[in-house]
Amino acid sequence: MRDDVPNNTPPKYLLAAETAEGAVITLGSADSWEELLDLLAGQPENDGVPPMAYRLIRTAETEAAVKKKPRREYFANFRGAGGAGREDDGTESAPWWGLDHAAANLAARRFDDLPPLAVREWIRIRHKEPFTPGALERRKRIKEAVAEYVFLAMTAALVIPIVAILAYLVVKAWPALSFSFIFQNSEDSQAGGIWAPLVGTFFLVWISLIISAPIGVLAGVYLNEYARDNWFTRLINLAVVNLAGVPSIVHALFGVGAFVLAAGMGQSLLAASCTVAIMTLPVIIASTREALAAVPMAFREACWNLGATRWQTIRTLVLPNSISGILTGVILQVSRAAGETAPILFTGAALFTSFPYHLDQPFMALSMHLYAICTQLQGVSDSVQYGTAVVLIGLVLAVNGLSIGLRVYLRSRKKW
Amino acid sequence: MTDGWRLFKRAAEWLIEAVVRLCGWSAILFIFAIFFFIFHKTWPLFAEGFDLREFLTSARWQPTSTVHPCYGILALLVGTLAVTGLAMALAVPLGLGAAVYLSEFAGGKTKEILKIVIELLATVPSVVWGFIGYMVLGPIIIAVTGAPVGVNLLNGGIILALMSVPVIVSVGEDALKAVPDSYREAALALGASRWEIVYRVLFPAAKSGLLAAVLLGVGRAIGETMAVLMATGHAAQIPHSLLDPICTLTATIAAELGEAPRDGTHYRVLFLIGVVLFVITFIVNLTADLVVKGIRTEKE
Repeated sequence: MRDDVPNNTPPKYLLAAETAEGAVITLGSADSWEELLDLLAGQPENDGVPPMAYRLIRTAETEAAVKKKPRREYFANFRGAGGAGREDDGTESAPWWGLDHAAANLAARRFDDLPPLAVREWIRIRHKEPFTPGALERRKRIKEAVAEYVFLAMTAALVIPIVAILAYLVVKAWPALSFSFIFQNSEDSQAGGIWAPLVGTFFLVWISLIISAPIGVLAGVYLNEYARDNWFTRLINLAVVNLAGVPSIVHALFGVGAFVLAAGMGQSLLAASCTVAIMTLPVIIASTREALAAVPMAFREACWNLGATRWQTIRTLVLPNSISGILTGVILQVSRAAGETAPILFTGAALFTSFPYHLDQPFMALSMHLYAICTQLQGVSDSVQYGTAVVLIGLVLAVNGLSIGLRVYLRSRKKW
Repeated sequence: MTDGWRLFKRAAEWLIEAVVRLCGWSAILFIFAIFFFIFHKTWPLFAEGFDLREFLTSARWQPTSTVHPCYGILALLVGTLAVTGLAMALAVPLGLGAAVYLSEFAGGKTKEILKIVIELLATVPSVVWGFIGYMVLGPIIIAVTGAPVGVNLLNGGIILALMSVPVIVSVGEDALKAVPDSYREAALALGASRWEIVYRVLFPAAKSGLLAAVLLGVGRAIGETMAVLMATGHAAQIPHSLLDPICTLTATIAAELGEAPRDGTHYRVLFLIGVVLFVITFIVNLTADLVVKGIRTEKE
C-alpha cells in the first residue's frame, strides 16, 4: 500500500526535538514506527546542551497538526547515563540510559496490541539526570518539609506568646521600676517599695536551703554510693518521685499540720522555711544523685585500693568531682523556693508586717506580696503590680541563669 | 596510730554512715509524714459520722452556710478535671510537636537556644502565671469573646497549658532521644523520610516515654494551685461552657483555709480535699513512674 502514497503527502512519522526556548524542531521523518525508533537511536548522544525532550509524532496523511498532550511521557538520560525506567506511566525516578536504550525499550512495548500511535498522537521522551527525584520522592520531600514547618510552628506557638507576654510585663512595669521601688520600704503597700518582701524571700530561701541542702545531698549520696539495688532502694526512689509530684497546696496542709500546729512553731518564718525545704528536697536529691553517678567508678576503685574507707572516698574524691552538678541542683532549689506561694500561704507569710523579721514571727515574701496586691488589696496601681511581677521573674531567672552559667563553666574545667 | 585513735575513726565512720542512711530514708519518712499529718486532721470527721458519699457525689459546695452547710466536692472535682483536660488538649499536641522538633529537626544554635528558653519557662513562678492570667489574659478574653468575666475555665486552661508545656517538652524530648540511633539509621536505609521516621518509627518506639511525659504534665496541672486560683474565677459550679468561671480542688483549699475556723468541720473537710489530691497525684505519678520503669526493663 505504501507505493500508493503520493510523494507530496506528508510523512507518517516525525522525530522532533524541543529546545530550552520552547521551539519544536523537526529532526527527521520515517515511514514506520521501527524506522522512527532507529532514527531516535541514531541521534548523537549529546554531551553539550541536550534538547529538553524528543517528540515521536504520527501525523495525519494530510496535516501536521497534533493533539496538545502527549499520549505518554517517558524519561531518558540523553547523555547516556542512568538506571532503568520500567513504568509505563513514567513515574519511575530512574531514567533510561541513552537514546538507543530508550528506542529498544519502546520497540519492546506492545501498547496493548494497538498500533503504537494513532494519527495525530505523539510521545514525549524527556531528558532527566540520573538520581533526580521522581514524583514519589518529590511527594515525600514535600511531606517532610511540611512536617518540619508544622513542628517548627508548634514550637513557635509555644515560645513566641510566652516571650511576648514577658516582654509585655516588662513594658507595663517600666514606669514603676526604679532604685527606690526595689530598695525602699513603703508605709502602706499601695505606693510600692518591695524591699521588705524581697528581704523576706531572701531569708526564706536561705533558711530552707540550710535545712534541705544537707539532707538532700546526703540522701543523694546514700542513693548513689551506699544503697544496693533492692526493693527498699526502689521504694526510696518512688518516694522521691512522688514527693516531687505532691501538689504545693498539699505541702502547705502538711506544713500547717506538722510545723505550725504539731511542732508549735505557729505561723512563722521557720515553719514556712521548713515547709518549703521539704517541698524542694526532691530537686536536690535527684540532681545530687545524677551528679554522683557521673563520677567514673574507676576513681572510687583506685581510692579504695589505697585503703580509704567509703566515707573518705566520698569526702575527698566523689564530692569534689561532682560539686558542679550538686550546685546546679541547689541553685534550682533556690529559684523554686523563691517563687513558691502556696506552701507559705498558711505557714508564715503575712500580707503586711514590718522589720525586723524573727524566726518565730510571720514575714513578707515577694511571691505572697504579688498575690496580695493583685487579688487581696484594692487600689494598687497597675505599674506597681507589674513591677513586682517583673522583679520576681527577674530574680528567678537570674538565679537560673547563674545555675546554667555555672554548669557550663564547671563542665569546661572538667578533667575527664 | 594508737588503738584508741583507730577505734575513734571506726566509730566516726559508723556514725557518718548512720546519718547518711537516715537522710537517704528521709524521702519515705516525709511521704508518710505528709500523709499522716493531713489524714490525722480529717480523722475526727469520720468519728462524727461524716457523709463520705455526699462528699464525693454532691455538687453543692456551701461550707459557710449557717443554715445547712454542704460539703460536696463534685463541682470542684469536675472543675479540676475540666481545666486539666483543656490544658492537656492544648499542651499535649504542641508540647509533643515541640519535643519532636527539638529532637529530630532543629540543630545547632536553634536547638540550644530553644532548650534554654524552655528550661527558663519552667522556672517562672506559678503566682506570676496567675498574675498573667488575671491581668493580661483576662482582658484579652473579654475583648475577644465578650464574656462577662475574663477569669474562667478558658483562661485557666490556657495558663495551665503554658505551665505544663516545659515538663512535656523536656520529658518527651528525653524519650525521643532514648530511641537508639540504629532505629533511625535502619529506617533511613529503607528510604524513609524524616517525617516517616518520626511517624512510623519514633512514635511507636518512644510510646511509653511520651505517655510518661503527658502523665507528668497532667500531674503538674492537677496539683497547680496559685495559677488556677487567680485565673479561673473561683466559683464552685459545674461548668457548662468554656467561659464559665470554675473552682478546683487546689484553689478551694488555698482560698478557704485561711478563713475556716480551726478544727471546725469546714477546716477538716479542706484537709480531706488535701487527702483526695494527694491520692490522685500519687496515682498519676506512680503510673508515670511505672511506665518509665517499663521502658527501662524492655530496653534491657
